[in-house]
Amino acid sequence: MTALTKTWDQLTLPGKALFILIPLLAFLTAGGVITIVLFGGLIWQAILDHLEIVRLFVAVLALVLIFIPFAFVIIYMELKVIARMNLRIGPDRVGPWGTLMSLVPGLKVLVKEDFTPTRADAVVFTWAPVVVFATSVMSALVLPFAPGLYGRDLNIGLLYFFAVGGMSVVGLLMGGWSSFNKYSLLGGLRSAAQIVSYEIPLTLSVVGLIILAGTMSLNTIVQQQAGWFTSWYVFRQPLAFLIFFIAATAEANRTPFDLTEADSEIVAGFATEYSGMRFGFFFFAEYVNVFIVSALTTVLFLGGWNAPIVLPWHIALDINPGSYGLALLFFVALVPVIGTLLLAAPVYLMRSKTRWWVALIIGFVVFNVVAGGLTFLWAYISFDFVAGLLWFLGKAFTLVFVFVWMRGTLPRVRIDQLMGFAWKWLLPAALLNLFVTALAVLVVNAWRGGLA
Amino acid sequence: MSFVPGIGIVKGMSLTLKRFFEPKATIMYPEERPDVAAKFRGRLQLLLDENGALKCETCFQCAQACPIECIDMGGMDTKGRFHVHWGPPETYGERREESALRRAGRTVPDPNFAPFDERDLSALDDVLERFDHDPKRMLEILEATQELYGHLPVAAIKKISQLTGAWYAPIYGTATYYGHLRFESPEAKAQIKAMAARRPSEDWYLAGLQASLGGGPGASGASS
Repeated sequence: MTALTKTWDQLTLPGKALFILIPLLAFLTAGGVITIVLFGGLIWQAILDHLEIVRLFVAVLALVLIFIPFAFVIIYMELKVIARMNLRIGPDRVGPWGTLMSLVPGLKVLVKEDFTPTRADAVVFTWAPVVVFATSVMSALVLPFAPGLYGRDLNIGLLYFFAVGGMSVVGLLMGGWSSFNKYSLLGGLRSAAQIVSYEIPLTLSVVGLIILAGTMSLNTIVQQQAGWFTSWYVFRQPLAFLIFFIAATAEANRTPFDLTEADSEIVAGFATEYSGMRFGFFFFAEYVNVFIVSALTTVLFLGGWNAPIVLPWHIALDINPGSYGLALLFFVALVPVIGTLLLAAPVYLMRSKTRWWVALIIGFVVFNVVAGGLTFLWAYISFDFVAGLLWFLGKAFTLVFVFVWMRGTLPRVRIDQLMGFAWKWLLPAALLNLFVTALAVLVVNAWRGGLA
Repeated sequence: MSFVPGIGIVKGMSLTLKRFFEPKATIMYPEERPDVAAKFRGRLQLLLDENGALKCETCFQCAQACPIECIDMGGMDTKGRFHVHWGPPETYGERREESALRRAGRTVPDPNFAPFDERDLSALDDVLERFDHDPKRMLEILEATQELYGHLPVAAIKKISQLTGAWYAPIYGTATYYGHLRFESPEAKAQIKAMAARRPSEDWYLAGLQASLGGGPGASGASS
């Protein structure tokens, strides 16, 4: 026994970790293989029988997983972009160009004490961040990311989006009310008032678009905007786009409408009593909301996954790797070597001072860049959803940039200005847009009917 | 300009976008060091000589060279000289006006100097008025002053410096450049010469020189 403990003590930390992990992995792999061998057919049959449910689970899991890097990218973007606008450099110490900086607050929030105030309503207090985050993920379920890449194509997708998205108010109120702190309660009420007020112009501004589109399915709306960028709805509903964007800013609690937690004025509004990962979830949800709002704006007004221009020629690469047979193996094995040598040769020959191994490293890196670029190009040309995803994410993150840009520029409005703007300007403008659109549709239909 | 709703937002957004692409002036300190003069030490320090007295001559060159005007001197020591202390001039309330004068590059009125050079400087006001207190006409002012007093008294140059706003040192330089301007009256100059001539060693030296050269000092003699 003493010999065992002695050996254990002599192991380094990675050694101890490996000592535990390797048997565990072996056990899990063996268990997985045995399960698949014994019950594989049954499991496959069950998946096939309940394909829609499985698809939902996979979609939710994928969304939750994909929002983590998205939120980190947005946090990094915010740090860096606002810094550059303030004539600063911004984070540049953690990781290359400070890219890992957004992980630092995440880790900090993770290791902090998860504190519940005395006499707080513990259950509601715990569930409030979950509700806020869950609404974000659930509303993203109907967003079409690319052709065929969406959670569900509901025929009431837009309505579902607003209904579920509006539920985040419940989470905010829960957090404010259960904290046992009058300032939290006031902050919660304040954010509820703001979000409910802006929900109305937000929803009304889209009604005109729904009249034009004739559907509430986001997938169909995107498909209607295919072709040149002039067919995007932003050119047919510019006022709606403006109202939608402003109201969405308020919905996502972004500057200049970030009174929900005006970090430089009040403590944190409804989140005053939150700490640790629960607080982190509120913030996570906020950054996810920024992306979701940008994505929805892209889908509704900026053509979603459609490219802005239609190329006059059609490139089709018909590469079937399976048809090459054994030659493919030689190709995979030889092309990297030959490519590296070919790209290293000019570097080596150009200057006599260059060492052969430096030239080889340079050749290898250049070959990787070239091969990666070619693979990317091939994927873009060959697969619709790669191109669509790229366009969609590009547009969405451009809008995220605009949000960050606004935060770097505009001062925060007062609460009475916020409310007055929503009720006195945005709401009448949205109604005007709705009536004008409806009238235009009626007139055009009557004219067409008269012609026919 | 007509009011367009939202034009302010557009202006602000364009400004921040411009700022976004502007190069940043940040120096990455531990990796890069700023390029400063070799003599730069980063702090003000007055050095003492071996007797424990300040080496500072209160010439104010440091104060005039300081780009952010953080150096000032004030106070008097027991010998009536400047007792030097340094720091922001606002901390020395008793010399605040003088600090302002000095930072403007002007000579500070010095009450301790007045008894040593008593002179009626009221006539100088007319001269300066005639030349419009214009420092660019300094030569004419100095010539007129010399006409008044026969030479250029230090007190007069100080007053000219104060009232024209020109620094004392350039005025002094102007006065020394031109041969017809002088700092002593001819009588004083003669007195100085006489005093120099009375040096006992000179006669002995000249006699020795004469003996060694075998002749008297001629018209080209340089010693007179």
